Formats: sequence, structure tokens, C-alpha cells
Amino acid sequence: MSPFAAVLRKDLRLELRGGNSTLSLVALSLMVMAVMVFTQAEAKSHDAESAAAAIWIAMVFSGVIGATRVLTAERENGCIRGLLLCPIDPAGLYAAKLCAAFIFMAIAEAAAMLMMVLFFNLDFGVPLLRTAPILMLGALGFAAAATLLAAISSRTRAGDMILPILAVPIYVPALIAGVRATAAALGGAPMGAIAQWLKIMVAFDILLVTAGCLLFEYAARED
Amino acid sequence: MSAPVVETHKLSMLYGQSPVLREIDFKLLPGYGAFVIGGNGAGKSTLLRILAGMAAPTAGGALIFGRDTRRMSARYRRRIGMMAHQSFLYPNLTARENLEFYAALYGLPEPRVSAETWLDKVGMAQFADARVRAVSRGMEQRLSAARALIADPLLVLLDEPFASLDSDGAAIMARLIREALDRGASVVAAMHGVPAIAGTDFQVFELARGHLGPFTPKEEETTAWTGARIRSLLHR
Repeated sequence: MSPFAAVLRKDLRLELRGGNSTLSLVALSLMVMAVMVFTQAEAKSHDAESAAAAIWIAMVFSGVIGATRVLTAERENGCIRGLLLCPIDPAGLYAAKLCAAFIFMAIAEAAAMLMMVLFFNLDFGVPLLRTAPILMLGALGFAAAATLLAAISSRTRAGDMILPILAVPIYVPALIAGVRATAAALGGAPMGAIAQWLKIMVAFDILLVTAGCLLFEYAARED
Repeated sequence: MSAPVVETHKLSMLYGQSPVLREIDFKLLPGYGAFVIGGNGAGKSTLLRILAGMAAPTAGGALIFGRDTRRMSARYRRRIGMMAHQSFLYPNLTARENLEFYAALYGLPEPRVSAETWLDKVGMAQFADARVRAVSRGMEQRLSAARALIADPLLVLLDEPFASLDSDGAAIMARLIREALDRGASVVAAMHGVPAIAGTDFQVFELARGHLGPFTPKEEETTAWTGARIRSLLHR
């Protein structure tokens, strides 16, 4: 078994066993959706833009929590030190942590999409399917940034507060592109209109994943 | 003569403005063991962390297998087994799962078999399916030793290896140290107590006020429980 597979399997096992981070993320997504619907009850609540905004808000919050949990588990008993002492490529270690954070986010997003359809009275159809790859790209990019930054913030006492302060500003360009692409997809816009936003998201994903692979070792070190 | 496994040159470490290690020169040959004795805060753990590549010295340097500890590749990290104050074990995984996980990270061909073998070696086979969260500190210490030694490292770094262990656990730990030396590995163990020297393959150093020097035991210390007990265990 490769180190990547071993770390990923361990993270998923920990999540299935004692963790409740995915449940927390789903609950958070539900709460965000509900708050968005009720706060916009008297406005133009049921349009594509509101739905897109709601699901991206849910995604950013769940991403912050998911990445924090994935790294916090490594701080207990100094396990991150144990991992960094092992003869494994830090980039592989980062990739495994990113993959775990992405899986937790993807599950939360799938639940959030279902709630979006219900709360925003959307149809299950082609527009909704077109949002899936946009959200997956968004989840990958945000998980990439949050996993790297969580390696730093989880070492600090106020880590939970620091992570969103660090991660969200870095992700803003991709966030704007993601919300626009999601709104366009839900509104039935042609692929050409969506593609320009997707290019920005893909570029950001590549940038953030590469930065994570290169910098994770230094971010995770405690000395 | 073999090249030293560990070699430090004027190794110094500052925490803020406080010097913890001062110009330490130290060599250890393959197949030899060294006990580093010192009180709380003497810098023993810091020295081990530097040797493991977990911390960078403020000045001077340390070579492990001829490589600078600050730039050790995975190939060289594989040769080091480190048992620290923290066990590096996941509390929500079982003893077996933890060892299997680390065996996989070290690229051992049969992680499960290696885990079972080491659970036996440290007398933890009956607790194989117990979560680490549920076992005692002494048992966790035994598992931590198994984790550090599972890949048969050529350099074994042990921070307080006998801490929290009962007499059976101490006997197991002493046996593991002896086995590591017998297969040609080098061992550096940091301890509070008076050391015991079993044979000529052990050197004993004292770390005091940041300086590392030869240890000369006082009469009352050589008869202290820790020293006498560990010495007898290592002679077995």
C-alpha cells in the first residue's frame, strides 16, 4: 500500500469511527441554506443567484471546518511529527490530507445541493447536473488552500479563527468565479458563458494544489 | 574503522536568548549505544529532536549517516527510529491499526504481519484490538517503542524509554535496545536517571548547562534502583 493510500485510509477510518466532521458539515450546510431562505423570504428569494450564493457560503464554511478537522487529528499525540519523520514524500502526505478534506466537503456539498433544490424550489435536471463539476472544482481549490493553511493554523491557539481569515481572502477570485459559474449554470446559460469562469477556477486549483505540495512540509513543521 | 552514524560539530541551540545546547561535539559508531543523562530542561529531548531532523540547530550541525539533519531525504529518514515523549499514535485507532499504518508508511512488504510481530515483541498481543485511547500510559509507551523500531532502523533515538514502564515493560525495553545493538544499529537514549553500562558498547554522557561531557557516577547513584535494575536487564 502506498503512503498516500495508507494516510487516506487512516483518515477515512478515523472519520467513520469517531469523527463527526462530515455530520457537522452537513448540519452546517443545512443551517446556511435555511438561514439564506428565511432571510430572503421577502426578496427575490428563489432565483439562481441566491441559490448559487447559498451553496457557496455553505461550501466555504464546511471547507474551513473539514480542513481543520483533518489536521487537528494529527496534532493529538504529536502524530504530525511521526508522519514527517516517516520516509514519505511531504507532497504525498499533503495530497492524502487534501483528498480526505475534499471527500468530506464533497459529501457535505452533495447534501447541500439536495437542500438547495428543496429550499430554492429548483428542478432536478440538466442545469443542476451542470453545477456538479463547478462545485467539485470549487471544493478541490478551497480544500487545497484550507488544508495547507490549516497545517499552520492548527498549531496556534486561535487556529479555528485564523484559518478563515487566511483562507477566504486567498480564495476570493475563485469564489467569485465559482458563484458566477454556478448562477449561470442554474440559470440555463450556454456553456460558453460558464467556461470563462471555469478557466479561472481550474487555474486557481492548479495554483493552490501546487503551492500545497511544495509548501506543506514547511507549514506542518513545528520547529 | 566505520564512519560514525552520528556526528555533531559544535552543535548549539538557543530557545529565545537561552542557550540549551552549547557547542556539542559527539560521535557514535555503528553498533554502539549512548545514554545521555540530564535533569529536567537539560536539553536531552532537544538534542534528540535535532538528531532526528525534527529541529534545526541554531549553530553548528549534526550529521546522521554523513548527511546534514536539516536536509535528510526519505532514504535517510527511513534509517531512523524515534521514540519521543509523545507516542505519535492515533488515540482512535487500535494498537494493531497504528502499527500497521506506520509499517505501511515505512514501505514494509506485509504491514499486518509486521504489526502482529511487534505486538508480540512488546507483549501487547492481547491488546491488539484495543484503541490507544483506552490503554495505559505504560502500554502506550510499549507501542511507541514498537512503532519506532518496526522498520529495523539503523539509528534508534529514545527519549526516556523506561518512563512509565513497569518491571516487565522495562525488561522488554531493555531487550529491544539490546536486540537493536546486536543487529548493528546505534542507539541514543536520553534519560533522567543514572545509567547502567552493559559491556563496552555503551557510552554514557551527561548533559548539564548545555554542555555534553562524560558521565562519572557517584557511588550512591550506581546503586540506585534505576541504574542497577536497567543494568541487570541489559545483561540478560
